[in-house]
Amino acid sequence: MLSALILVPLIGAAIVGFFPKAIAPNSSRNIALICASIPFLLTVVLASQFNPTNINQQFSEFIPWITVIGLNYHLGVDGLSLPLLVLNGLLTCIAIYSSDEDVHRSRFYYSLVLILSAAVSGAFLAQDLLLFFLFYEIELIPLYLLIAIWGGQRRGYAATKFLIYTATSGILLLASFLGLVWLSGASSFALATLDTNALPLATQVILLGGILLAFGIKIPLVPLHTWLPDAHVEASTPISVLLAGVLLKLGTYGLLRFGLGLLPQAWEVLAPALAIWAVVSVLYGASCAIAQTDMKKMVAYSSIGHMGYILLAAAAATPLSILASVLQMVSHGLISALLFLLVGVVYKKTGSRDIETLRGLLNPERGLPLIGSLMVLGVMASAGIPGMVGFISEFLVFRGSFSVFPTETLLSMVGTGLTAVYFLLLINRVFFGRLSPQVIDLPRVHFRDRAPAVVLAVLIVVLGLQPTWLVRWSEPTTTAMSAIPVIAQRTQLVSNQEWLVTSN
Amino acid sequence: MNQTLFLTSWWVPFYGLIGAILTLPWATGIVRRTGPRPAAYLNLLMTGVAFLHSLFVWKDIWNQEPQILLFTWLKAADLDLSIAVELSPVTMGAAVLIAGLSLLAQVYALGYMEKDWALARFFALIGFFEAALSGLALSDSLFLSYVLLELLTLSTYLLVGFWYAQPLVVTAARDAFLTKRVGDILLLMGVVTLSVMAGSLNFSELNQWAQTAELSPLTATLLGLALIAGPAGKCAQFPLHLWLDEAMEGPNPASVLRNSMVVAGGAYVLFKLQPILVLSPVALDTLVILGTVTAVGASLVSLAQIDIKRALSHSTSAYMGLVFIAVGMEQGGVALVLLFTHAIAKALLFMSAGSVILTTQTQDLTEMGGLWSRMPATTTAYIVGAAGMVTLLPLGSFWAKLQWADGFWNSNPWVIGILFLTNGLTTLNLTRVFRLVFWGEPQPKTRRAPEVGWQMAVPMVSLTVSTLLVPLLLQQWQLLPSWENVNWYAVLVLVLSSVLGLIVGSTIYLHKAWSRSIQLPWRFIQDLLGYDFYVDRLYRLTVVSAVDFMSRLSSWVDRYLVDGFVNLVGIATIISGQGLKYSSFGQSQLNLLTIVFGVSLLGFLISWSFGLLDHWQLFWEAIRGS
Repeated sequence: MLSALILVPLIGAAIVGFFPKAIAPNSSRNIALICASIPFLLTVVLASQFNPTNINQQFSEFIPWITVIGLNYHLGVDGLSLPLLVLNGLLTCIAIYSSDEDVHRSRFYYSLVLILSAAVSGAFLAQDLLLFFLFYEIELIPLYLLIAIWGGQRRGYAATKFLIYTATSGILLLASFLGLVWLSGASSFALATLDTNALPLATQVILLGGILLAFGIKIPLVPLHTWLPDAHVEASTPISVLLAGVLLKLGTYGLLRFGLGLLPQAWEVLAPALAIWAVVSVLYGASCAIAQTDMKKMVAYSSIGHMGYILLAAAAATPLSILASVLQMVSHGLISALLFLLVGVVYKKTGSRDIETLRGLLNPERGLPLIGSLMVLGVMASAGIPGMVGFISEFLVFRGSFSVFPTETLLSMVGTGLTAVYFLLLINRVFFGRLSPQVIDLPRVHFRDRAPAVVLAVLIVVLGLQPTWLVRWSEPTTTAMSAIPVIAQRTQLVSNQEWLVTSN
Repeated sequence: MNQTLFLTSWWVPFYGLIGAILTLPWATGIVRRTGPRPAAYLNLLMTGVAFLHSLFVWKDIWNQEPQILLFTWLKAADLDLSIAVELSPVTMGAAVLIAGLSLLAQVYALGYMEKDWALARFFALIGFFEAALSGLALSDSLFLSYVLLELLTLSTYLLVGFWYAQPLVVTAARDAFLTKRVGDILLLMGVVTLSVMAGSLNFSELNQWAQTAELSPLTATLLGLALIAGPAGKCAQFPLHLWLDEAMEGPNPASVLRNSMVVAGGAYVLFKLQPILVLSPVALDTLVILGTVTAVGASLVSLAQIDIKRALSHSTSAYMGLVFIAVGMEQGGVALVLLFTHAIAKALLFMSAGSVILTTQTQDLTEMGGLWSRMPATTTAYIVGAAGMVTLLPLGSFWAKLQWADGFWNSNPWVIGILFLTNGLTTLNLTRVFRLVFWGEPQPKTRRAPEVGWQMAVPMVSLTVSTLLVPLLLQQWQLLPSWENVNWYAVLVLVLSSVLGLIVGSTIYLHKAWSRSIQLPWRFIQDLLGYDFYVDRLYRLTVVSAVDFMSRLSSWVDRYLVDGFVNLVGIATIISGQGLKYSSFGQSQLNLLTIVFGVSLLGFLISWSFGLLDHWQLFWEAIRGS
């Protein structure tokens, strides 16, 4: 069943790619959509059969592959990866649905998107370090091509930058994985059998440093982030949706799974530094976003800021904060996907993303009123207004991390205030005010442009009102992750020493 | 029947929400054929249901003990976010008041916004607004209250920004949102801290915790200040007060609700937090200082305003300042009565101002005059509202302020002085506005001024009657002092301050054109008050420019340092590669040497970092063969 999540998109990619050219581009889109929705439905079925109380990997599949070097095809799913798999399925469907109908070289385009989706699913499912690494690298190639071929004006620069950065991340990751396995003397790359507790602490810290740098590029964390705004600005809308919605989550997922999961002792050593790093990311991303005039770049920087919360929660590693980091991954995936979609619609209709030139798009007769209203919703969700999923995930992040890193948590809260500042700038300039003369006579907004955004908006509100529907899948797993003895012990220790609890 | 009504009374806030959702087809323009009116009627219907429901429950539970309903919303790890709803005469009474005022304001809006194309959107927002407010009244959980305060921030933003095509409205909406957001974020910090320390966020459990908690003074202070910040933003207290003034750019029916109920919502949360604030003397002192500064400052500022709505809105801040002082002095009970009487009187004043604005098409006080004979109902409403605000006649605020003064008579006599000043200045201002708008000679814009239509007149007159009935209600609730317990000195002080205000207000020279004085000192004061003590410029110089500088700096760093370094490395790589290609050293031996050297260096570094070199002696000895 899990293999189907990888195989169906791959088969779809092959069908779409080798489809006779004579058939209209539309049919390749439809086939791609079907091939993307099957895995999505499968993930939903998977979720319904998933047993949340079981903290082990479920639906495992194991096929020995290259046993000489200890590489096996081993898949599994648990509460950490399940929400991200569903998210990946959903956003792939949305990305394909919202692609331009007249996209050139459509067969190639859609097959690349499908390969990308398959690789991401594979990475989330992999239970073997080397297998994860393989999927992590495979995902680079389609994404590089998608940016380099269907991107904007400076697509070559952005795509190359992305490739170099992420390839560096891959090398670091491979080095750390090899070091992990060889130094700990394990016989295979299997995640489950790896035990690092015997390693000297210094070695662990160095290995974790490698993993942190590798995933820090992917997440991205300041100052390893400059590939992201360029990639977002140059990528087409559906690719931005995938990039922000799912691909960045590979970084945080990897951090939780391989960093915290495999090297808890070293994690404990580095956690204070990580928390500070998270704060820097949050505040730096937010203040950079304030100064942007390109809407897409603003959303991209906001993404950097919001990914910082996940790192904060991961660093704290309390039961609540790890759960919160999963929640924040999903909520950021939904919200940033919505924002990128809407910016994409505005760009498509007005030909501009410039905050300085656009004005008054909420105009009910000649503007984009529904898109504007959804934008207000998305922006407010991102700024953490209650009733939407962004609030509860951020609240849990803060609540969970506060007992371990009170000062850092309070500082990151300032980030949510700054989020309101830049997004209000965006709304006030672009959507409020009198319609600017440059953008009169906008083309019609079709159902096709609205539907994906409406779906995401509904999800954001529903999960915001009923976060339990999200929490219950992951809670046992994340609680188990924080029950690693070292972490649990530290949490107690620290909360007893902090300045906030009783003096006298 | 009664039992069912009681058990479902937590449902009261949802009526407004349902009303808001029902209007969506019209608000989003899916239904165009019918015009926006049906949306308004649906909303009115839902508000009416909410009013009746809460009224029945209120009558029913009049003499009962408060009951608390608990709903589990989210349980995760060690966090239990249960939502508590308190059903007591006070909370249900507040819900009745909110639904009632909302009903009146909505009928009023039918007239006021008759020709507005976005009527449906307005009603959707009002429904949302009302839902959040009545939720706030019933909430017994700090978490829920925080959530609702944030929702009120959002709906204020959308309501103030209702006419979003106008530039002033856009900045007003932005400022309202950001100012309140500052308060909300600080409050969130307090909420998170409390949640970690106390475990539960329900007020009753927080109060229990506060009785035994032993906090370090620093923690208690920081916590107290954070908790104050949220209500301070909502109640438009210094230094988070400017938004309320600017928010007057929004539609008037929303201003009616905002100035009467929303600010009261913030103060109500503060009242609920009182047991926790007591932990920190600094926080209490801060409350008193903020309240004093706002009460006196806002009363002064209102004197120089020439916009009719702004002239009235500053006194809202001033009255909330009095509430802040009361909570700061741990006399929260007297604050509640003042909140109630102020809400009704202020709503009436704003309805009257709205009628004037609609009829004269202007908000400028200097362009008005002589409306008393042309608009009798509006004039009556203004007079009654003004009388309900100050302590001249024994209407609502008279008794509330008497109680307020009585509470501090012995303990802190100096705050009586603040009350004296605030009350006197408010009377002065209300008299001034009355003379400019209703008295005197008619001007071009007020010459042909018919009374407003029934949609606006009916709510206005009903509220006039209600304002006159407030003392009877107070007596019914046994909130009036018995005859022998009246503090006659306090009565004397209060009446004296109002009389003084009235006398000064009616004798002061009010030039029709309100031209700026030619005498420099007088002109300086006029400008100082007219521009709110230049506080907005102070903000622009400090907070706003600091954030602006930060963002420019980090953006510059990002572009030229971080990204610049990355690009430099890229260029350097390309250039060196190109250079090597053409260099005369391009012999294969040399290339091989470079590679060998590079790889050994890398290998050395890696082995060193893994601590493998600790054994280099063994290695060396093995080579020497010894």
